[in-house]
Formats: sequence, C-alpha cells, structure tokens
Amino acid sequence: MTLTGLIGRICMFPLQLIISTCVALRIHPNILTFVGLLINVAAAVALGRGRFVLAGFIMGVANIFDFIDGKVAHQLNAVSVFGGFWDSVIDRFSDIALFVGLIYLYSRLGRTDYVMITALAMMFAIMTSYTRARAESLIARCKVGFMERPERIVLFLIGAFTNRMAAVMWVIGVLSVFTVADRIIYTYRELQAHPEKVVA
Amino acid sequence: MKSAATLPARVLWNAFFWTYERATWQYDLMVIAILAFVWLTPPDWLHDPTAHGSGPLGWMRTVLAR
Repeated sequence: MTLTGLIGRICMFPLQLIISTCVALRIHPNILTFVGLLINVAAAVALGRGRFVLAGFIMGVANIFDFIDGKVAHQLNAVSVFGGFWDSVIDRFSDIALFVGLIYLYSRLGRTDYVMITALAMMFAIMTSYTRARAESLIARCKVGFMERPERIVLFLIGAFTNRMAAVMWVIGVLSVFTVADRIIYTYRELQAHPEKVVA
Repeated sequence: MKSAATLPARVLWNAFFWTYERATWQYDLMVIAILAFVWLTPPDWLHDPTAHGSGPLGWMRTVLAR
C-alpha cells in the first residue's frame, strides 16, 4: 500500500461514522452540499482576516460535508443527475470563496504581487474544472493532470495550518497551469485519434 | 531501445503530462516533492506576506555554516 493510500484509509474510519449518521437522519445530500458551501464561506472570511489556523479548522469541517454528500446520496438511493450538477456548481463557488478570502487578505496587506498570484491560481483552478467538463462533452473521459480539487483542498489545509499559504498559492498556480495544458493536449489527441468517438 | 539521454526527458514529460492515479508510487513521489517545496522553501525567498524567516533550509544553512 502507498503512503497516500494508507492516509486515505485511516481518514475513512471517522468519515464512515458521519456518513452513517447522515443516512440514519435521512439528510438530503443536496442540503449537505449547500451547508458545505456556507461553511467554506466562513473559512474564506477567516482567511481574509488572516486567521489561518481557524480557517484551517473551518475548511476541515466544510470539506467533510463536501466529501460525504456523494456517499450519502448513494446510501440513500438519492443519486440524481441534478445532484451531480448541483455538487459541481457548489464546489466551484466553494473554490472561488477561499481564493477570494486570500485575495482580500493580500490586498489589505498591500501585496499586489500575491493578489495577482492568487488570482491566477484561482483562474487556472476554475479552468481545470471547466476543461474537464467541456472535454467530457466531446470525449468519454478526460481525467489527466495532477492538480484536481482534492489536491487543492489538502494544500489549502496545509497552507493554513502551517502558515505557508504563499508557497501553496505558487504550487496550486503552477500545477493548475500544467493540468489545464494536459487536458487540452489530451483532448486534442483523443479527437485526432478517434474522431468517430466524439460524443456530441 | 531508449537511450539514457531520453530518460530524464521522459521523467520530466511524465511529471508534466500527468496520467497517474492517486495512491500510486508516482503520486506519493509528487506529494513528497510538493510538501518539500511548501515546508522547506524559506518564506523570505517567496516574499511571503504572512510568514517570515528563513525556514528549515535557512536553519540548516546556519547550522552547517557554524
């Protein structure tokens, strides 16, 4: 087993307990998704005030909701096409909220350099999701590139808890550029190699 | 047969054009590289607006310079 695989398994134990509780209470997964967004907005406010450790804890709670909504939907047999759409849209709002919190902080500190770095990281993080969504309207699957949402979330948590948000913004920014490029290249190759498999 | 000169280029290309799943050794290696960058790079080098000092790398340089 790999290191990251082991960490994932350890984290699943408490999460399974929360999932079971939500299923027992029959909480609708779409509500869990929306509550996750509200908590992420609170985390963004904490980031904007420079209270990174508090923001880290709030983000941790928010991401529990983010993570469990799909699992609860499966266990409640409440999986729907709209649920998937709702989850994707709310996830983008959550992503943007955290970046906006940081942009506010850096602008308050008069650091236009980091306002730009964070804005670019935000732009490419959003483009990472968009390129995949658009590609998968043309080809069956476009899951290439390293910097996806779970990686961004973990990096935000690491940056908040260890006060290394600047380095985290660099990593998210640079690797999101690569991820977007990967998806464009992959989609181009797939469309060239299998024009008959184009979905739409 | 692939020449030795192409190996670094292939490693770089595979790191750039990322197709590995999570929980693979390649993924672990990338995570370690990222964490090393985040935690070891002195905040002063990045002009970090919220963190200061030279970090663990600076501390190691100071120790080695003694």
